[in-house]
Amino acid sequence: MKLMTAAFEWQSRAVVGRHLRVYLKNWHTSFLPPVMEPITLLLAFGLGLGAYMSGGIEWNGRRLGYMDFVAPGMLAYATFITSILQSLFGAFVRMRYQRTWDGQLTTQIELRHVVWGEILWSAVLTTSYVVIVALVLSGCQVLGLIHLELARLPIAIPIVFVSACAFAALGLYFTAVSPTIDHINLPLFLVVLPMGFVSSTYFPLTHPVVATISTVNPLYHLAEGLRDLLLGPGPGAHLAGLAVLVTLMLGVLVPLDMRLLRKRVLGD
Amino acid sequence: MAGMPPLIDAHGLVKRLGGALVVNGVDLQCHAGQVLGLLGPNGAGKTTTLRMLYGFLTADAGVIRFEGSDVSRDMTRFKRQLGVCTQEDTFDGDFTVRENLTIAATYFRPRPTEVRRRVDELLERFALAPYAGIKPDALSGGFRRRLMIARALVHRPRLLFLDEPTTGLDPQARVSVWDLVNGLRAEGLGIVLTTHYMDEAERLSDALTVLARGKVVAQGTPKSVLGDMLGEHVVVMAAEPATAPAVAAWLRSRGSGDPLTVLDTWHLPLSGEQLADFARAFPALRYEVRPPNLDDLFLKLALPS
Repeated sequence: MKLMTAAFEWQSRAVVGRHLRVYLKNWHTSFLPPVMEPITLLLAFGLGLGAYMSGGIEWNGRRLGYMDFVAPGMLAYATFITSILQSLFGAFVRMRYQRTWDGQLTTQIELRHVVWGEILWSAVLTTSYVVIVALVLSGCQVLGLIHLELARLPIAIPIVFVSACAFAALGLYFTAVSPTIDHINLPLFLVVLPMGFVSSTYFPLTHPVVATISTVNPLYHLAEGLRDLLLGPGPGAHLAGLAVLVTLMLGVLVPLDMRLLRKRVLGD
Repeated sequence: MAGMPPLIDAHGLVKRLGGALVVNGVDLQCHAGQVLGLLGPNGAGKTTTLRMLYGFLTADAGVIRFEGSDVSRDMTRFKRQLGVCTQEDTFDGDFTVRENLTIAATYFRPRPTEVRRRVDELLERFALAPYAGIKPDALSGGFRRRLMIARALVHRPRLLFLDEPTTGLDPQARVSVWDLVNGLRAEGLGIVLTTHYMDEAERLSDALTVLARGKVVAQGTPKSVLGDMLGEHVVVMAAEPATAPAVAAWLRSRGSGDPLTVLDTWHLPLSGEQLADFARAFPALRYEVRPPNLDDLFLKLALPS
């Protein structure tokens, strides 16, 4: 229980504060790439690929323009990839090369705060990126390129934040078990990228096997849940499924991360 | 110090790591205004003991008290009183020297007061002011150590842990770290220090705790530890084939064990009475007599038990 409530203790916020300070120092280098990536993808997939799909896409018995289909998927994919990469590479560098964690652990910060600090920071950073992507999408809506229920967009923000926490807990698991930074390529190519593809973020899943696998993929439920929210009738079964998976991930992965990192960082 | 509980008082500390018993029942104490030297050969359990004392590792058994209170009841409160300078540099490479001190202050509650003034004071005191705006990676080894110690002091702790603070430094940088440690002791800080340098331990420590194979083998002032463990004199002689076997046999007959060997010389720790006997037993032997030092103690501890 102490492991989970540490998320709300001042030490975890102090760790987030440290990461935020570094981010603000380097904002011009760390800010642009993740912001440009979804914009580029929107142009490439939406305008580029979408131009070949003039008939649109069948979704839940409705015919949608490809740009409308892909826009909520982009919010979901940005949530997934930003949080997981931050907790993979960013956390690994701080743990292994910069020894930031070792320095923090000589103070009143305990390992559980370091872990929660990394997870919460990942989620804060991810949410800020998603807000920017949402602003870009709102601009597209003004230009008439997409047609979302924009009034429901703010509801997506807390959903993104909590989902990012769960994805970050998964990223930290890989950080904890990767012996070197090169080994991170294994989970990246064997787990993270396949999860990204089997998710209906950029295209609908029609193959029955793939569709079955996707039901245990939280990213799939996030993408479809955001579509329900922004295109359909509102929050539905996918967001409920997401809530179950996110709760499971946090409940299992956070204590596991702490156990593995305790052994790795403290040698205990 | 009489009547005052020790700043830190550890009793019966035990720690297993990876199945091996690394620390096996260690007791130690450090008072305010005192430097406690924690000594022992590699693998003796010094760093593990230190890590338990500053809360990095949890002891399998034993109790640690700070001013009489069991620290396990409120570890966070205990850690507010501690400054920790680890063996390895653990700077925050994303920040400058000044920012490293400022950011460290954010990791403590109650928040340190007047942080800006405290940071300026530490930069001056540790001669780091000219480097305040650069990244720690650009500092020399001696100044990195200074920054590590300064960072450990930013929140005004009452007990400081220094894990091999001068390892790898040149003699001038070592002496300047000693000066800083002396100054901190004079201000009433309790300091627990591990070191491999015997001259450092002798110069700085008010009390020693000597570990070997995870246990305390000697405790007290440097002089009393040497007296208890070694005797009052050390005979230094060449280990020549003509004389060495007879000396070895004499030592064995008195239950003194094997001589301490450094290259081709033997160093024999003896009491005053034993020295007189030795002189009578080997009247023609050429040798020197000198006072014992902590190097002799290390050599003795490194011998198989």
